[in-house]
Amino acid sequence: MDRAINRQRVLLQHLAPSSESSQIVSSSICAAGDSAAYERSASFGDDVVIVAAYRTPLCKSKRGGFKDTLPDDLLATVLKAVLDTSKIDPSEVGDIVVGTVLARGSQRASECRMAAFYAGFPETVPLRTVNRQCSSGLQAVADVVAAIRAGFYDIGIGAGLESMTADPMAWDGSINPKTHIFSQAQDCLLPMGITSENVAHRFGVSREEQDQAAVESHRKAAAATAAGRFKDEIIPVKTKIVDPKTGEEKEVTISVDDGIRPGTSLSGLAKLKPAFKKDGTTTAGNSSQVTDGAGAVLLMKRSVAVKKGLPILGVFRSFAAVGVDPAVMGVGPAVAIPAAVKSAGLQLDDIDLFEINEAFASQFVYCAKKLELDPSKINVNGGAIALGHPLGATGARCVATLLHEMKRRGRDCRFGVVSMCIGTGMGAAAVFERGDAVDQLTNVKGF
Amino acid sequence: MPIFKAGFSGHAVKFSPFFETRLVVASAQNFGIIGNGRIQVIDIDPATGSIVELCAFDTADGVYDCAWSEAHESLLVSAVADGHVKLWDTALPPNSNPVCSFKEHGREVHSADWNPVRRDSFLTSSWDDTIKLWAVDRPASIRTFREHTYCVYTAAWSPRHADVFASASGDCTVRVWDVREPTSKLTLSAHDLEILSCDWNKYDQCCLATASIDKSIGIWDIRNTRMPMNRLEGHSFAVRKIKFSPHRPNVLVSCSYDMTVCMWDYQAEDSLLARYDHHTEFVGGIDMSVLVEGMLASTGWDELVYVWQHGTDPRA
Repeated sequence: MDRAINRQRVLLQHLAPSSESSQIVSSSICAAGDSAAYERSASFGDDVVIVAAYRTPLCKSKRGGFKDTLPDDLLATVLKAVLDTSKIDPSEVGDIVVGTVLARGSQRASECRMAAFYAGFPETVPLRTVNRQCSSGLQAVADVVAAIRAGFYDIGIGAGLESMTADPMAWDGSINPKTHIFSQAQDCLLPMGITSENVAHRFGVSREEQDQAAVESHRKAAAATAAGRFKDEIIPVKTKIVDPKTGEEKEVTISVDDGIRPGTSLSGLAKLKPAFKKDGTTTAGNSSQVTDGAGAVLLMKRSVAVKKGLPILGVFRSFAAVGVDPAVMGVGPAVAIPAAVKSAGLQLDDIDLFEINEAFASQFVYCAKKLELDPSKINVNGGAIALGHPLGATGARCVATLLHEMKRRGRDCRFGVVSMCIGTGMGAAAVFERGDAVDQLTNVKGF
Repeated sequence: MPIFKAGFSGHAVKFSPFFETRLVVASAQNFGIIGNGRIQVIDIDPATGSIVELCAFDTADGVYDCAWSEAHESLLVSAVADGHVKLWDTALPPNSNPVCSFKEHGREVHSADWNPVRRDSFLTSSWDDTIKLWAVDRPASIRTFREHTYCVYTAAWSPRHADVFASASGDCTVRVWDVREPTSKLTLSAHDLEILSCDWNKYDQCCLATASIDKSIGIWDIRNTRMPMNRLEGHSFAVRKIKFSPHRPNVLVSCSYDMTVCMWDYQAEDSLLARYDHHTEFVGGIDMSVLVEGMLASTGWDELVYVWQHGTDPRA
């Protein structure tokens, strides 16, 4: 009998390599076929699809590859990339929406409009910015989807931009004294690190769990970079870099993320002091990095993409933004993901891949645990702890990473989710479907 | 194309290198966890297209793999779960079989591979962490290769070098050996998780494919062990076996715990050429015919053996 138990153990390892549980029998996966809860929807011409999604490399602010690069040059690079690869006529684009957070609103809107000119768009293509803090890039994509669905236009670009080198986080001016009466309004003023400590404390996320998540993030990002998995989504940026000592300018092409530390270990992270609270657990090592970067997503009606013969990378299925307690703003994804998945007519089990922004390891670990997600489906190529979190660009970056990974995984990876928490207590999530998951010919209604 | 009901869960199927219509199936009761095993030699009747059983041999424990002799048309070797390595002659009646039985491996024998160049020797790999080299005319194994630290799931001869083979292990490495050398010549940390199978490209002596429970297939140039030439992703569970095409240099076929058989061209942009989902349980064995281009065979825990031409529906 021992022999049979040993054989079962060897075979179970083949099926569930990550689980180290000592159980002998595990629940079987039903071979009954496609019995998922969602309806097999037909692919209609009015679906909004993504035909291209690119990003710049993500570089450490003030010290990294883009420390001497102007924000509008970052945006222009990705805007030009979606034009060049799709070869669409730029004048057909109905609107460009850019998510951007820290810079002064009007100035940034002007910079983005100028970037569109650098990228080769004619004056007839309009542009606007959107700010929903950390989800601005995703909000930009969702806004374009909504406008296409509403019939305002057929082709649009959702983008994101952040140069945390040029625009550090700051508060200008005085604070309304009324905030003292409204405790939730006051909580909106909490530094993000403190909200992370609140999450860790309130939901019991230990320092070890957080450091472990950080190690994993770096390990996966390093592996993805080494295997060349980011090559499809990254657009190299030609720029200059100034030597801080000599003041000498050098032309460079930045093509890889520079925040990843492949050697990150638990013992190394354990040495770091809490960054926000003396007895806290949030450190520089288990928080997202301060980063520069940009991303752009080209969206259009499926019928237009088919007519142009463009590849369909993904279908935008649903979007949800929700509000949560500002004092624990990091829990946002735990509320937003179920909302978006439900509105897509799916269940959490149907989702094959997640990109959940790692603003802080505390909130990331909490959300994954709260939703009981399979760790092997989340941030498979690392997250913001390793890659960085350029606030306004993160949403567009995650869309690019998710869709390219889904493409690589093939037909077994049908649905993916992008989600992030949002400062001042919100969460956003969107559901994407693999572009070729639905075969037009076999999905005639009633088939 | 024809379907054959094996009766036990199928762990391996191999085309005969001598007869284009002949195959051998290795199977085990109760998924190979407990119970008997069976080796069935089957023939496709060219007139009716149906499969007939030529002969069958029963074993006391499950049969995990088998390999036809490259030198003699009726000889084959089997890897038995109780640690036995048994040789069978299909030309002899059941009571004269097995013609040889070796008990050296300490645990389950998981693979057998006949040397395609010298044709006089074969390898077996076992869950006792070793690989053994055998010859038909020797009373005991010639050599034992001990370096792996966990189950060795596959040992595969190079199709070009008479003395070179690769071994894939649950210790997450693939080792390349030359039987003339005392130690392995190369260690490839090919995957982060257990490696279940490996095979050599029949047209490129430096090209090796690896299959892992990390769901992916790695394509390696063994002169560069740092990074794979390519990584094929598409299976949703562990990849059980892989086999390079004898006819097309970049094509390989894989089977997986996700119940599918996939055909790949690792140099094409869309590397997944075809996915066959005819099995309703884990697919244990896969082979490509050397004699008929595009002819495939698979077997699985659903106890069925399928033989079909690439591009057609195996169930049709």
